[in-house]
Amino acid sequence: MNTIFQLVWLIPALPLIGFFINGLLRNQLPKAISGLIACGVLLGSFVLSVLVFLQVKAGAAQTVHLFDFINVGNLKIPFDFKIDQLSSLFLLIITGIGFLIHLYSTSYMHEETNGHFARYFSYLNLFVFSMLLLVMGANYVIMFIGWEGVGLCSYLLIGYWFKNVNYTAAAKKAFVMNRIGDLGFLLALFMMINQFGTLTYGDVFAKAGEASTTIITGITLLLFVGATGKSAQIPLYTWLPDAMAGPTPVSALIHAATMVTAGVYMIARSQALFVMAPVTTNIIAYIGLATALLAASIAIYQNDIKKVLAYSTVSQLGFMFLALGVGAYTTGVFHVMTHAFFKALLFLGAGSVIHAMSGEQDITKMGGLRKKIPITYITFLIGVLAIAGFPFTSGFFSKDEILVAAYEKSPILFWGGVIGAIMTAFYMFRLLFLTFFGSFRGTHDQEHHLHESPISMTFPLMVLAVLSLVGGLVQVPHIFGGHPYFNEFLAPVVNSVEHTGIETLEYALLGGTVVLLAAIIIMTFKKFSVDSADGEYTGFKKVLANKWYVDEVYDFIIVKPIRFLSKKILVFTENEVIDWLVNGVGRSVQWTSRQIRLVQSGQVGSYVLLMVLSILVFLGIQLLTKK
Amino acid sequence: MNALILSAIWGVVMMFSGIFTKSGAAIRGIAITGLALLLVVNVLDFQGTALVDINTRGMLVYNTFSYMFLNIVFGATLLYFFLSGSDMERVGLHLAEYFALIFFILAGISIVASFQTLLMLFLGIEIISIPLYILTGSDKRNLKSNEAALKYFLMGSFSTGLMLMGIALIYGSKGSFSLETIGAGTGVITPLLGGGMLLLLASMSFKVSAAPFHFWTPDVYDGAPTVFTSFMATIVKVAGFFAFIRLFETSFGSVQAQWQLFAAIITAATLLIGNITAVFQQSVKRMLAYSSIAQAGFMMFALVSLNGKGSEGLIYYAAAYSLATIGVFAVLIKLNDYTFEGFNGLGKSHPLLAATVTICLLSLAGIPATAGFMAKFYMLSAAVENGKVIWLVILGVLCAAISVYYYFRVIQAIYFKDGEPQVAEVSTTFKVVMVLIAVLVVYFGIFPQRLTDFLYMVY
Repeated sequence: MNTIFQLVWLIPALPLIGFFINGLLRNQLPKAISGLIACGVLLGSFVLSVLVFLQVKAGAAQTVHLFDFINVGNLKIPFDFKIDQLSSLFLLIITGIGFLIHLYSTSYMHEETNGHFARYFSYLNLFVFSMLLLVMGANYVIMFIGWEGVGLCSYLLIGYWFKNVNYTAAAKKAFVMNRIGDLGFLLALFMMINQFGTLTYGDVFAKAGEASTTIITGITLLLFVGATGKSAQIPLYTWLPDAMAGPTPVSALIHAATMVTAGVYMIARSQALFVMAPVTTNIIAYIGLATALLAASIAIYQNDIKKVLAYSTVSQLGFMFLALGVGAYTTGVFHVMTHAFFKALLFLGAGSVIHAMSGEQDITKMGGLRKKIPITYITFLIGVLAIAGFPFTSGFFSKDEILVAAYEKSPILFWGGVIGAIMTAFYMFRLLFLTFFGSFRGTHDQEHHLHESPISMTFPLMVLAVLSLVGGLVQVPHIFGGHPYFNEFLAPVVNSVEHTGIETLEYALLGGTVVLLAAIIIMTFKKFSVDSADGEYTGFKKVLANKWYVDEVYDFIIVKPIRFLSKKILVFTENEVIDWLVNGVGRSVQWTSRQIRLVQSGQVGSYVLLMVLSILVFLGIQLLTKK
Repeated sequence: MNALILSAIWGVVMMFSGIFTKSGAAIRGIAITGLALLLVVNVLDFQGTALVDINTRGMLVYNTFSYMFLNIVFGATLLYFFLSGSDMERVGLHLAEYFALIFFILAGISIVASFQTLLMLFLGIEIISIPLYILTGSDKRNLKSNEAALKYFLMGSFSTGLMLMGIALIYGSKGSFSLETIGAGTGVITPLLGGGMLLLLASMSFKVSAAPFHFWTPDVYDGAPTVFTSFMATIVKVAGFFAFIRLFETSFGSVQAQWQLFAAIITAATLLIGNITAVFQQSVKRMLAYSSIAQAGFMMFALVSLNGKGSEGLIYYAAAYSLATIGVFAVLIKLNDYTFEGFNGLGKSHPLLAATVTICLLSLAGIPATAGFMAKFYMLSAAVENGKVIWLVILGVLCAAISVYYYFRVIQAIYFKDGEPQVAEVSTTFKVVMVLIAVLVVYFGIFPQRLTDFLYMVY
């Protein structure tokens, strides 16, 4: 037993300790200390994660037993951590990017008061703790604890500025949408307990073969419902764009790099189940593609810098599910990793822009920022290139792999994916040019205050920019003389798809990417590096700018009827039936009380009479029942 | 045995002490000393170090339960003296005599804790009852007190008549007063024996104020000086229960099927009447009288189930109920106004009293983490174990829910209503003892075994 595995519990425990310190002493601690604690615990977790990762890479994956959690009858749920290739990779992403974002937050949130500053970091620590539980758990229950935990923290952080009613509404929306998904997850767990009598990964997968395909399809579909909630897929994606109400680093950490990938992790982890349910995987692939296209089309006409990024996240998550759906599980995980790099970078860059613009988020009021905030500009540019799939950036490799995998499955998926990728490039360059090129369109005050962010904010940007550039090199296709290190690393846990005889496709993709990207860059540069923003959207553009009116439709077909029903139940069932019953019981007791009281007349004669009568009755009963 | 002798002697000592001193503090001091001695003597007896050993020829037999029960009785009386001893002076001039009467009652309780013949039972019950008639009427100038005493005496005599008749019938049937002789070979119930048994059931039910023999209780408890009501409703009542169970367990345990139904009917009636009538009361004192009937209903479960858990539970209930009720009464005595409104605003003006009395009320209502909850739990689980009276268990739970209403009315008045409660001066001792009671109530609620463990401790 390697000593590092004895310390593995510290990885989630450290952020939990940070949460308690910052949470309980939030009014006592100065900002410097609470920031130091929050970052320190994460750095500790990261160092441990790296050590664990190196051990796992050397082939020492194992399950660490901590204690017995639930032990009732036949159901045994130990509190175990499964440290293998998949979870150790996620550990690196979560603690690594998490640490950078914590660091970034110390500057970004500096204008908050002491108590709120510490509250922010305690939430952030709690979030990391929950996310770590989610990926480290060796059974679905631990995963579910983390799953619920990240949902809660997401709610707390979106509603961090709780005095703003719109923000708390967004927080509530996120929570409710997630809860709908969680219900699916929970039902899947119940089905698994019912079918297999266990929730430990290995045992479930071992017993899955005995169950019928219908059952497996049911379980996997319910799991996927859970995933659509957390990973913002159709139909439960609408919370994610609204979640931008939270502070920008939160958007980077939760709504781009970690929490939303929980669904991908869950499906990759449960791969053994999903491969047995082709119906489910087909649904996943098409839902993923539809989400990718829908979100990309909306992103094209958004003017809020964070909204664009939010929809791009939804869209990229769609790509990941597309990969999972076509059976390329490692590719999905690969895209999770590269996406974590460039999306965290983009969000933090956007935060830096917003910081520079004194809180302004509307890109039609920006422009020409590249000279004022050069570090942010360069790193943001790298992020845009990566997400657009510019050759040899990290996004290029992962996205191409998804398209290759989709091509082998069905042309619809492939060409849909291509269109999605084109749209991605389009809206990202639109964002880039509107923000950094042309001339400044904001107010004079804003222009006056423009400044580059401090080092604690630009340092994470630079680190992430490097990762976005080179992060894809762990898995370079054959035609570039590469080797699938990533797939090989994950091979013990997650199966990968072998691509053979696809050199032509690879070359075509490379060529196509270059040509298309060039065209898009020229087109968007001409259109958007302008001096003034375009006016009101009309026609179809308006539909896109209004996000296909999905929120309105949901409101009409779900929220309004539920509200109506709830009101009816409140007025009738609650007031008329239940209150009547409850109050009736109370009133009848009081009434009886008044009546019985009258027996207590104060007359000794009547008391004695009643006693004598009672004894006579007793005697009578005894005579009658005598055998 | 030694406790019996000492309590009788100390009663005489108390009587004479009144001649030598008029100082209330001195008399209280003597009484408390006497009680402390009683406790010490009883514990020594328990451990097998009897000071005097008298052969009672099998008339009185002390077992672990007796000693344990007497410890609880003496302990509770001690707390009662500390809390309410000074309030006795307000009743009348004869402080020493009141204490003397209480010591005589304790002598009676020592007998009913150990009787082994019907004769001793009768003596014990009468030694308890006669001083009580006097204490009830001790507020001589108060018409209500006089009326209560007379009522109590009339009805008490009636029930004594029933008991004597029952004893006579049983003697006629079995030719012996000894409980064990009666119990041995009572396979068949002759009409003579059955009638005697029923009469004993009725008269004992009267003593513990179980319905439908409870009518005296509200009038007497209400009319008697509050400080003595407190004593009657707690220590005397649990002593009655102890005698009740001991009698029926030893003599009629083997024919439980013949009377379990009656016991169950009495229990159900007691629970319903006690709880439902308490709901409408306007005076806290009268509410507590009904509450004592309701609590008696729960203690009746020990009789109905008649198993080890029931006996254990009765000991536990005796402690939990006595502690909490003594606490509530002690605070009530300090108030000017006995209605619910009298408690208005106590939470603000006297936070310590309010908190402790609230804990006592929570315990009476059977809220978890208080001794009252565990006491009810013991009783109900004893009945479940017996298995034949599940309907009674359900009724018990429902009635416990009703009881929450009237106990919480007091708590509501204390904390959620504004007012200027008129509270008499309270000493530091009073506060300390109230806190002690509250702590004990919670402690036994969380560690119930600490009390029952004593029962099985071997010295």
